[in-house]
Amino acid sequence: EELPYQPALTQTPVLEGLTTASTFVLDQPRCVFSGYDNADIWLVVALHNATSAFNNTAVPGTPETAFQNFPDHVSAYMTLNATLANYPCPKPAGDITVLRVGSETSCYQDEARPTCNGPLPGPGPYRVKFLALQGSEPVAETRWSVPITLRTAKPSNTISTADSGHSAGMIAITTILSILFAILLAGLVAML
Amino acid sequence: MAKSDDCVHILQGLLVFGNVVIGMCGIALTAECIYFVSNPHGLYPLLKVTESNGIYTAAWIGIFVGLALFALSILGIIGVIKASRTLLLVYIILMLITFAFEMASCITAAAHQDSLTPSLFLKQMLERYQNSDPANNTDNEVTKTWDELMLQNHCCGVLGPSDWQEYTSAFRRTHKDADYPWPRKCCVLDAQGLPVNLDGCKLGVPGYYNSNGCYDAISGPVNTHAWGVAWFGFAILCWTFCVLLGTMFYWSGIEY
Repeated sequence: EELPYQPALTQTPVLEGLTTASTFVLDQPRCVFSGYDNADIWLVVALHNATSAFNNTAVPGTPETAFQNFPDHVSAYMTLNATLANYPCPKPAGDITVLRVGSETSCYQDEARPTCNGPLPGPGPYRVKFLALQGSEPVAETRWSVPITLRTAKPSNTISTADSGHSAGMIAITTILSILFAILLAGLVAML
Repeated sequence: MAKSDDCVHILQGLLVFGNVVIGMCGIALTAECIYFVSNPHGLYPLLKVTESNGIYTAAWIGIFVGLALFALSILGIIGVIKASRTLLLVYIILMLITFAFEMASCITAAAHQDSLTPSLFLKQMLERYQNSDPANNTDNEVTKTWDELMLQNHCCGVLGPSDWQEYTSAFRRTHKDADYPWPRKCCVLDAQGLPVNLDGCKLGVPGYYNSNGCYDAISGPVNTHAWGVAWFGFAILCWTFCVLLGTMFYWSGIEY
C-alpha cells in the first residue's frame, strides 16, 4: 500500500506564487490512486522532523490531527479531503491541476473546522504525503515529499538606499560648467 | 579703417545672431520645464516622498531662467546695435547671474537623477502603499499613484510581484499573505475592474497576473525629464558662454 508516488511542488506551469510566506502549491495526485474508488484521499502536512512520528491510523477531524492545533500541540494535520472523482485520470492536457495548501483563511481559527486548509504558520520546512482511508482504515499512502520551505520576508528597512555614486555625466556637467563660469568671471574682472 | 569697421560689423552680427539663438532657447527651456512641472505622467507624488525632488526644483528654476534668458537676449541685441557700454555692462552682469542659476539647475537635475535607483522606489512603495493609517495624506496619494501606474502599464511592484513576498510591507500588515500574495491591482482585470481569474492571479499563473515590474515605467519618463533639464540647460550654457565672451570682447572695444 505504499505507492511510489512522491508529492511535489508544481513544476509546470511555472507559478510565481509556488511558495509564499504561508502557502505552497502541489500537483494533484492524478493517476496515482487508481483502484481505490471508495477511499477518501487526505493530505497529511507535517513538520519535516516529525514524519516518523505520524501514525497512519490517525483519524482526520479529531484534535490530534486538527489544523488549529498545528504546530504547537500536534506535529501533523490532515486536510484537503477528496475522492478519486476529484482527481480524474488521465489529466486533460492544458488543464492546471494543482492543490494550494494554505488557501482557506476563513477557518484558520475555527475549532469546529479541524480539517481546515489554513495558512501555514511559519516557513517550515514541511513534508507532505497523501493518505487514502477507507472508512477509518488506511489503504494506501504515497511517499513523503522532500522538505518544503516557505518564503520568509525580510524587513523593508534592510533595503539599502545608499548613494549609488555619481555618474560620469553629472561629474562632467559640474566640472565643465564650473570652468566656464570661472572663465567668465575672470573675463569680467579683466574687462573692468 | 574700413577693414576694422567690417570686423566690428561682423562681430555685431555674430552677437546679434548669438542673442537671437539664446532668446529662442530660453523660450524652449521655459516651455520644456513647464511641461515637466505639469506632471504629465502622474509620477510627482512618488518623487515627492523619495525626497529626490531635485528634478522638479531644477525644472522650476529652468522656467524662470528661460524667461530671463529671453529678456536678456533682447537687451543684448539692443545693446549691441546701439553699441552702448552701460546697456552691455548690465547685460553681462545679469547674464552671469542667470548663468549661475542655470548651472545650479543642471547640476541638481543630474545629481538627483543618479539617486533614483530601484531600491529607493522599492523601499518607499513597501512602506507607503496601502498604509492604512488614515491620518497620512501623502501615503494615500502614493497608493493612488501606484494603483494608476500598475493599472495603466500592466505591471506590478518595482521589480515584480515578488517584491511583496520578499519584504515586509505596510500592505502585508493589513492583508494576509494567503489571500493577497500581492495586491489585486497586479491581477489582469476585466472591464469592471475585477480580476479575470482570482485564483489564477493568487497562484501566479502566467496570463492572469502582471509579472513585470513598474521600474521601467517610472524611470523612463523621469530620466527623460532629468536629461531634458540637465543636458539642454548645459547646451544653452555652452552657447551662452561663447556669446558672453564675444560680448565682453566687443564691450572692451567700444570707445567711450
